[in-house]
Amino acid sequence: MSAPQGLEARARSFLAQPWVGPLVALVSVYVLFAVLTPETFLRGIALETMARHTVVVALCAVGMTLVIVQGGIDLSVGSVVALVTVVTASAARAGHGPLVAALAGMAAGALCGALNGALVATLKITPFIVTLGTMSGLRGLAKGLADEQKIDADARGLDGLMMSDEASVLPVPPGVFIALAAAVAGAVLLAFSRFGRHVVATGSSPATARLSGISIPRVTFLTYALAGLMAGVAGVMEFSTLTVGDPTDSLGLELEVIAAVVIGGGSLFGGQGSVAGSLLGAMLMTVIATGATHLGIANWIQEILTGAIIVVAVTVDRWRHVA
Amino acid sequence: MRRRELLVGGVGLAGAAACGGKSNKTRIAVIPKGTTHEFWKSVHAGAIKASRELDVEILWKGPLKEDDLKEQIGIVESFVSQGVSGIVLAPLNDKALVQPVKGAKNAKIPTVIFDSSLQGEEHVSYVATDNVAAGRLGGERLAKTLGAKGSVILLRYLEGSASTAQREQGFLEAMKANADLKVVSDNQYGGATTESASTAAETLLVAQGADKGQVAGVFCPNESTTFGMLLALEKLGLAGKVKLVGFDASDKLVAGLKDGKIDGLVLQNPLNMGYLAVKTMVQHLKKESIDKLIDTGARVADKENMDSAELKELLKPDLTPYLGQ
Repeated sequence: MSAPQGLEARARSFLAQPWVGPLVALVSVYVLFAVLTPETFLRGIALETMARHTVVVALCAVGMTLVIVQGGIDLSVGSVVALVTVVTASAARAGHGPLVAALAGMAAGALCGALNGALVATLKITPFIVTLGTMSGLRGLAKGLADEQKIDADARGLDGLMMSDEASVLPVPPGVFIALAAAVAGAVLLAFSRFGRHVVATGSSPATARLSGISIPRVTFLTYALAGLMAGVAGVMEFSTLTVGDPTDSLGLELEVIAAVVIGGGSLFGGQGSVAGSLLGAMLMTVIATGATHLGIANWIQEILTGAIIVVAVTVDRWRHVA
Repeated sequence: MRRRELLVGGVGLAGAAACGGKSNKTRIAVIPKGTTHEFWKSVHAGAIKASRELDVEILWKGPLKEDDLKEQIGIVESFVSQGVSGIVLAPLNDKALVQPVKGAKNAKIPTVIFDSSLQGEEHVSYVATDNVAAGRLGGERLAKTLGAKGSVILLRYLEGSASTAQREQGFLEAMKANADLKVVSDNQYGGATTESASTAAETLLVAQGADKGQVAGVFCPNESTTFGMLLALEKLGLAGKVKLVGFDASDKLVAGLKDGKIDGLVLQNPLNMGYLAVKTMVQHLKKESIDKLIDTGARVADKENMDSAELKELLKPDLTPYLGQ
């Protein structure tokens, strides 16, 4: 009739893992492109490029996962990344070393996140509106700080974070490892720490969380501040890629990041989502964009494809949950 | 200097049509496609140069992002409602700006179009680089470098941008003239920012097997795609190996030219373009006869000629007399 109880239960619990769906999607899309363009898509350099192109979205997605699981949203992430490239470039141009410049950028990101968190926690306005406001405000600040120009600065070695060194033994540049480390830290924090449990509880049911003695403003503030810090790290990586501070950079990045989290099983109603899933979601979008270019597909078809895959992935995920 | 003019622009917008009492100077709105690219700084300097020579006031305001069409339309409309004397505009789209320009004309405000073309007959003059010819110039340069054979890639700029589309067209025409040059990809766009261009460039290079020596040369039609391509070639360790002919100049691009990572840069004369656009408008306002089409010229800079006085002025124009710092 059916498989033994224990096996079926184990299979069910495996399938119920939030990252299984995106993993299956990623592997199938990857295999599809690999079959269609075996001579270019399977090469190491293609993999290295894809890994590098995923770093910024992935880092932001780690923070966004926390925010979305907590029941919020952060639309300002693209503006924060642009602001961080400007701050990092300004610090480098002012003669500071790579470490100071990177720390200044990350601090700027964390401050932006803290601002979001403080506003959401105190104003009792939905995070969508608060971060819609900071999205515009921080973008303006980035443009003002940069004097409405790109900031040309000596990258002071920071460009090495996102550049593969032929002499290096590592197959991918340090930035990829930093993103992976951040993802592991984020996943551990969300799944195993007290703070992580409070984030999930707040997102699942704020009323219950409050009754169990969780300080919701504190959890909210910390969640957004952490997301800001992640955007700060992402901004440093973006500067490393660009070697200039660009206040117009990363327009619309927030949508890519949210898409990654949602493809990865995050629920915009809060309480659900995993860092691993979001990471897979981010990779899936890079693979689609890269594969489409390898196939020589025109840009407009790529955009339609990406949109379709987002909807299909999330539909399949919901259906899997119901089944 | 620049800050003050921005402020004047901002105050002017706020004051709307009520303005005009303080200064009797002719006020000309100059609207670029964006303000972050180096190119527009030179246009701005040229416009200021003309405004000083001709004793007019210019109001400089553009969308910060190079493809924010809606914002640019809004800027044109707000200048019309302020009642400026004339509008000098680099349209982001050759069709979408026709209506706002017609609106200006109905309000008795003439428009000079510069940099990028506009359909219809609502504007009084068009001041620009002959972009098809400039693109062809770039193509011919790449053909010469490659000995007229090999596989080449065209990374386009942005859907709907007329000036770059014409350069791309000119480039492809030049490629067709050489039977042994094969364009292996010409349908990928870099998008509005350096970041999007560098991601697209890198993916495209890998897809076409550039690292295995399957791509001999690339062409990019503006500053952000050229810089994005340069970053991509550097990341893949191909800078200098794959020949790059690009468009426009910035500090990093000039450094690339010097290091041999860029083979040639097609240079327009943006300072002259800004200057002539404002000058043409002033002439029109004084009822002098003006040409419908004014070509501001293009040259190719390479490692050999980049230090000559003439090209130095195009590569690294001294803008400090106009923009300060």
